[in-house]
Amino acid sequence: MSSNYERTAGSRKRLDAWGIAGWVFLLLLLVFTVVPLAWMLSTALKTQLGALQFPPRWIPTNPTTENFRMLLDPNDDIGRRFLRYMLNSLWVSTATTVVGVLVAVPAAYAFSRFRFPGRNSLFYGVLLRNMFPAVIFLIPLFILMRNLRLVNSYGSLIITYLTFGLPLSIWLLKGFYDNIPVQLEQAARIDGASRFQAFIRIVMPLSAPGIVATAIYSFILAWNEYVYALTFITDDRKLTVPVGLQRFFSEYVANWPGLMAAAFLMSIPVVVMFLVLQKYFVRALTEGAIKQ
Amino acid sequence: MGRVILDNVVKRYRDVVAVDHVSLTVEEGEFVALVGPSGCGKTTTLNLIAGLLELSEGNIYIGERLVNDLDPKDRDIAMVFQNYALYPNKTVYKNLAFPLQMRKTPKDQIDQRVRETARLLSIEPLLERRPKELSGGQQQRVALGRALVRNPQVFLMDEPLSNLDAKLRVQMRAELKRFHQDINATIVYVTHDQLEAVTMADKMAVMSGGLLQQYDAPDIVYNQPVNTFVAGFVGSPAMNLLSATVEVDGDTTWLRNGNDWASALDAKRGAIAQSASTDAVIAGLRHNAIHLSPTETPGAIPVRIYTVEPTGDLTFVHGYLGDLLIVASVPPGTQMHPDDIVWATFDLDQMHLFDGVTQMALASEA
Amino acid sequence: MSAITGSQPTTEPPAPEERGPGLAGRIAALPGDIARHWSDYLYILPALGIMLVVIAYPIFYTVRLSFYSTPANLAMDDKIWIGLDNYRRILTSDSFRSVTRNTLEWTVFSTFFAYVIGLGAALVIQREFPGRSIVRGVLLIPWVISYVSAAYIWKWLYHSDYGLINDTLIRLNIVDQNINILDNIHRALPALIIANIWKEFPFAMIMLLAGLQGVPDQLHRAAKVDGAGTWARFWHITMPQLKSVSVVTILLLMLTNLNSFTLVWVMTGGGPAGSTDIWITQIYQLAFGRTRFGVASAYSVILFLIMMALGYFYVKALTRGDAEREGA
Repeated sequence: MSSNYERTAGSRKRLDAWGIAGWVFLLLLLVFTVVPLAWMLSTALKTQLGALQFPPRWIPTNPTTENFRMLLDPNDDIGRRFLRYMLNSLWVSTATTVVGVLVAVPAAYAFSRFRFPGRNSLFYGVLLRNMFPAVIFLIPLFILMRNLRLVNSYGSLIITYLTFGLPLSIWLLKGFYDNIPVQLEQAARIDGASRFQAFIRIVMPLSAPGIVATAIYSFILAWNEYVYALTFITDDRKLTVPVGLQRFFSEYVANWPGLMAAAFLMSIPVVVMFLVLQKYFVRALTEGAIKQ
Repeated sequence: MGRVILDNVVKRYRDVVAVDHVSLTVEEGEFVALVGPSGCGKTTTLNLIAGLLELSEGNIYIGERLVNDLDPKDRDIAMVFQNYALYPNKTVYKNLAFPLQMRKTPKDQIDQRVRETARLLSIEPLLERRPKELSGGQQQRVALGRALVRNPQVFLMDEPLSNLDAKLRVQMRAELKRFHQDINATIVYVTHDQLEAVTMADKMAVMSGGLLQQYDAPDIVYNQPVNTFVAGFVGSPAMNLLSATVEVDGDTTWLRNGNDWASALDAKRGAIAQSASTDAVIAGLRHNAIHLSPTETPGAIPVRIYTVEPTGDLTFVHGYLGDLLIVASVPPGTQMHPDDIVWATFDLDQMHLFDGVTQMALASEA
Repeated sequence: MSAITGSQPTTEPPAPEERGPGLAGRIAALPGDIARHWSDYLYILPALGIMLVVIAYPIFYTVRLSFYSTPANLAMDDKIWIGLDNYRRILTSDSFRSVTRNTLEWTVFSTFFAYVIGLGAALVIQREFPGRSIVRGVLLIPWVISYVSAAYIWKWLYHSDYGLINDTLIRLNIVDQNINILDNIHRALPALIIANIWKEFPFAMIMLLAGLQGVPDQLHRAAKVDGAGTWARFWHITMPQLKSVSVVTILLLMLTNLNSFTLVWVMTGGGPAGSTDIWITQIYQLAFGRTRFGVASAYSVILFLIMMALGYFYVKALTRGDAEREGA
């Protein structure tokens, strides 16, 4: 946002009632947002006994990093499992993201540039996938995976995650391509490039921010996914983190500090990734999803 | 350098005909401007020559080759775009080098050509900058450089000056013209600004509704427009087009518009007016062919002044002749004021006559 | 990129297929058009292939299965055709009514509050102030973390013996001793909805924030000159400009909420006494808890039809945005 009407002359002189109301609202909203997150971290730093106190304390009496140490220690039984879940998630999410981008990029480009018959219907048909409840696909896909002997395989998750990651990826990327002037490719083609070379050498580098945003999006989606992982994977060694977390919890039922520490750890990759690259993401939404 | 021949070129989008049987030849080393209002098919024509669009019908030759089915990259052309289309992620140097790289030119030759071109266009100090760090004029020059760098047969230019501010546009216009003379390039130049066409081009092709209206040297197009469209489009301010009926009264032929005005024609023009397909004709008069006088003279037509526009060397007077708003020029310093009634006389020598039905020029040279 | 902004989108006229001649002419021209563009389809083929396998087939299969009674051991060869029995059973059951009511409450309240809070947040965040991007980042965290994490965080907050919420309620003198929240049939659903709003309002915020950036500055200045106050400007300028973004956002929120599973499943599992059971958890329970795939499929098909109706409005909202842009 390069220019903002709040900055125009005159508005700085007095804080009107709406201005104050806005700041109060923002403050309350920050409290609403931060308290649960802070509580997660606070609990994660408590001993089991320390967590089971009433009234609860914000600052742990005997703060400990034991919970994190346990989860990250490959020699500890819990740590070994937790780290394995993390690795499984990493692998599934990365594979989903890479394949997703490779498939979404040409499709989005075609939808943006070419005028082939059926372009609109196909595009909205692809988007329509997001209308369908996951459960509709859960039952037949479960049976399909069972018949293909893909239950308990990462492949079952990757294929499934692609189907719900692709439509939004294509949508976001198409917005990016729409904003790259077609004259650049025309210039490249006149300068001696084939259509494909123009795409690779001129368009691809320019759409890099869009691709990054799309990649983050599908990574986060895959990293956080729960229902399919819950259904398709039963082998403990192959679980992804969200489901693993739940297993972990059901075995160590009262260990809230351990659970909060695990929730915290599994959130770190996606939160960090998102915060670092959020400006691309906001741009992708602005340019792609919402047209000026 | 080569010539470009368009032979009955048609471009159709389903039910829309964007370019309708256009034929014209651009001779080697000629600067041809395609002009017309937006949507007239001039940019489509240019893109057809470039190969960015596929022909529906007809043939296009560049040099001696039929290029109908050739890719843009194989047509040996260069193009300058309205928005310059500089590759934003490449430096000026790499922008200039790109066309050569794509043609697999050896590295040392690329370097030599790029520096030569940069010198020619005085953009050497900019070579390491990126497009967004350049001013509009500099970008323009880089775009020109990218076209120039590999000696194409033909330069295609799509409104290359329209994004510049007025002052820079005049300067670049001169530079472009000089550039054309220096390298004797064949240039096809699209513009909606007839002044650019008139000032720079050897020939102008006026298009409207996908049809080529007139293709000739600018002074001929200006002085002998073939129809009312060309007459109204070329020249600024636009030619006044006055509908009238032809009335013959003994030896004298009159042009009359209801009760608003009537004007007697001389014998030659009377004959021309009578050659129209019906008695409806259109009289075309440029601003300098209507004389305004504060005092009534015999045969003069009253005009109520609407507004007066001094421009320095000429003062334009807009006024109502009956219901029609016309424009005439008077010497600077002439005292005329809105709502005054002044008296207009037509300069018959400079009157163009058009058929009221077909809108075509009536043979004034006959 | 100043050199290339404000470009014409394409030299071809926008999507000729939208105007075109009569339908008959278009159909007659179709084979030729498709042949001429055949290579264009190669670009979307991989995407289409994946989508087809994992979408078309499952939909077909689900619809088919919904007419069968399936054996509990999932030996699908032994399934029995029972026509519309599954549908009849679902639509006449008491649980369908209560689950539908829960689903509606869940969807409507979650969507409404997520949108309103998101809108307020977008309007405040849009102002320039120091630390703005940090605040925006913090507000987005709940949206980025997984539903599973969110579910456990809130479950812990709501804990009836050691939870922070109970502590706060006591400190504020709203209650005088610990209460059950997730274990109470009247409190569980509202408690879930609050957690869901926490998770989803950032999405509404970021969408609307993006939409606000499309509101031209000049309009606000013009309105100020015309003497419009903050409220008048919000109502007459900002909101109309946000209309199409809002429609898309609300529809996406509704679809997400109708589809949500994880939060409910992890926090209450649909309980206590079915008081938080919504369509999706019910379907999951039927299919994977009681292995009644036939009934679950019929349930899915009903839900599917409702989604299709919503999806229709979604695509309409999207295409209208496109039309407005191409017309501009």
